Amino acid sequence: MAKLHISFENGNPEQVVEFDPSQAPFHHDGEPGSILDILLGHGVELEHACGGNCACTTCHVIVTQGMAHLTENEEEEDDMLDKAPGLVSTSRLGCQAVMAEGEVKIRIPRHTINQQV
Amino acid sequence: MPSSPTFTATIEKIIERTPDTRSFFLRVANGRKLSFVPGQFLSFLLPAGGETLTRAYTIASLPGEEDCFEICLNQVDGGPGSSYLFSRKEADVLCFTGPWGNFVLDQPTDAEYIFIADRVGVVPFRPMIARLLTAGGHHTARLLYAAPQAGDLLYTDEWQRWEGQYAYFSFRPLIAECEPEEYSIEKGLLPYVEQHFVKGVRQYSRRFYICGIGRPVLLLRDLLRGAGYERQAVKYEKW
Repeated sequence: MAKLHISFENGNPEQVVEFDPSQAPFHHDGEPGSILDILLGHGVELEHACGGNCACTTCHVIVTQGMAHLTENEEEEDDMLDKAPGLVSTSRLGCQAVMAEGEVKIRIPRHTINQQV
Repeated sequence: MPSSPTFTATIEKIIERTPDTRSFFLRVANGRKLSFVPGQFLSFLLPAGGETLTRAYTIASLPGEEDCFEICLNQVDGGPGSSYLFSRKEADVLCFTGPWGNFVLDQPTDAEYIFIADRVGVVPFRPMIARLLTAGGHHTARLLYAAPQAGDLLYTDEWQRWEGQYAYFSFRPLIAECEPEEYSIEKGLLPYVEQHFVKGVRQYSRRFYICGIGRPVLLLRDLLRGAGYERQAVKYEKW
């Protein structure tokens, strides 16, 4: 079993999801086995305005531990992350970062948006 | 459910643009206007199959069309989102959040703008090009628009009208003349881009905007960036 810890900058209580990576996909949005897929499939909401297609940054998460357990960024994700508010060196898009093992901790930024104009 | 504000809109009109592509004209409830930047999309919350799907559809409206706006989409085989929308009728109500997205025009420069559309990927370019052409400054813009058949092209009358109206805008349809299942960008679009913007290129000041479905968008991105165009000069949106 793998374990994903989620903390929220908006003060919501921390959550932990334990899952069997071989059972992915858990939902229908984002890459199968991605952080977005895992969260939605276990009842944890994460904004994903584009439907998990790497066309926005609303599923931006900050990885605080276990980056090595996630697939590496592809150019498409990097291009999109450039536009994310509050970008840090461990930022990832939840719809693209696939977790296949181990223990990862993420923080959901208070402002996952705002691309609205 | 999303934490962003959710709006409702009524379908005022549905137009079949091609056998598998429809435009939906929507009016936001309570007289609200939709303020958007050309190129942005809306995120629809669709009750399909016993759950709520999140599906993004690009705004096709021209700038200023804020009272009754248009989304234009094709029906995806087995796609629950488009199937749900294609079963809607006028007066039905839809929920959405947004507008969203960063696939928008940069501050206009003197650079030549090349818009590369693969099939229904042309939709964001309608408001983007309209904005560019009417922004002042006579920005040179080209639209390369690829499709399997001429009948698959969207907004053709408009592109042709703009081409006649604005000397600095040109429209280049690239028709593969094949069935949709045999279609690929190798049958026209990719070789055209390679011939005109890659081989022997000496000036790298152009700005490219690419939109389409799936891997072909990334192929075009890699072709142009690989030819030496700066990363920021090659923008794309892949659906």
